[in-house]
Amino acid sequence: MSGAERVVSRILLAGGLLAVALMLAGLLQLEVRATRTAHPLDVAHAAANRAAGRSVDVFVSLAQIGRGLSGWPPSPAAVIATGIVVLLATPAAAVLAALAAFAGAGDRRYVAICAALVVALACGFFLNLGG
Amino acid sequence: MSDLIFLFTMLTAAAGAGVLGAILGLGGGILLVPVLTLFFGVSLPYAMGASILSVIATSCGAAAGHLASGLANIRLGLFLALATVAGALTGAALVGVVPPRALQMLFGLALAYSAFTTIRQLRVELPESLAADPLAQRFSLEGVYYDRVLGRDVAYQAVHVGRGAAVMFGAGLLSGLLGIGSGAFKVLAMDTLMRLPMKVSTATSNFMIGLTAAASAGVYFGRGDIHPMIATPVALGVLLGSYGGTRLIGHLRNTTVRALFLPIVLYLAGAMLLRGLGVLR
Repeated sequence: MSGAERVVSRILLAGGLLAVALMLAGLLQLEVRATRTAHPLDVAHAAANRAAGRSVDVFVSLAQIGRGLSGWPPSPAAVIATGIVVLLATPAAAVLAALAAFAGAGDRRYVAICAALVVALACGFFLNLGG
Repeated sequence: MSDLIFLFTMLTAAAGAGVLGAILGLGGGILLVPVLTLFFGVSLPYAMGASILSVIATSCGAAAGHLASGLANIRLGLFLALATVAGALTGAALVGVVPPRALQMLFGLALAYSAFTTIRQLRVELPESLAADPLAQRFSLEGVYYDRVLGRDVAYQAVHVGRGAAVMFGAGLLSGLLGIGSGAFKVLAMDTLMRLPMKVSTATSNFMIGLTAAASAGVYFGRGDIHPMIATPVALGVLLGSYGGTRLIGHLRNTTVRALFLPIVLYLAGAMLLRGLGVLR
């Protein structure tokens, strides 16, 4: 296994695990809150249509997530959204790590390929996620 | 159904999709969307949002395992991903310009031909060695992996790299234009056109699908289609299932993986042709 393969493998796994840990923490927080207030989440109902789905906060921008995390305790939906963003950003982070590994090995062709991919992914990511 | 039972059964279904995705080089959307909508009653926008997230989770879990085992070829994946992502961005820009039904007919026919080629190769464990492609040599696209079933190292090199990259561009174009996954096209291009071992093709596809999905996943997130209560069990199940699936593929023959892949190609070819003809929506 080359340096690039090792570092990309580790980043993909670490990013995936961090993302699901955050998502799970947020979901547990939602469940605990629902139990305390005696209002079950009714996941099946929320999943069935978009209007019912809005009964839970759905964060759709980085600025919204930032506001949701700023209070104490942080909003459970904002914690889950942070996990989702971590997961969405993990492939780009892996390519960035591959770029660094190829640069260290002096492989200019793959540094250029990784750089082009990072630019393309970053454009898609930030253009769609907005402020 | 109580919340916990609902979430746990969804997690289990996602884990199954993750195992299959890791073996077949697919994101799991083809399996997950029907299960979520038909069995769990999830609305289609949320199922699509969960599907795009599951592609990235499959890629994280499966590619992490496949890269560590040497089955995925990182140089090949990055080289071809460049063509796919370029295709996806072009496709997104061409929405409303290119008639989707004509493109679906074209790719449906290409898939039907690929299914025929796959059937002819059902008993071929490893492709015969061909002369190295100059482009493959320049970009170091060769590789070697230890095949546990054969009990030896298997060396391989890519051929028809230019044509393979063109198919990858087309696969990306289709993703960007129609908003569908294109893992099957990636696997077929590597297996039948570039003459790579089937397991290397599916493992490398697993690395690539995450990059293609990441380029367009922000759209679903921005629309609010990635619902927290559906995304969490799906992402967790798929990540665990796909990482586990990478342990399983080592015990399978290339011919077994190809036989498992064939029904998916036949289904996709049929669905795409019927959509192209206007029979299916």
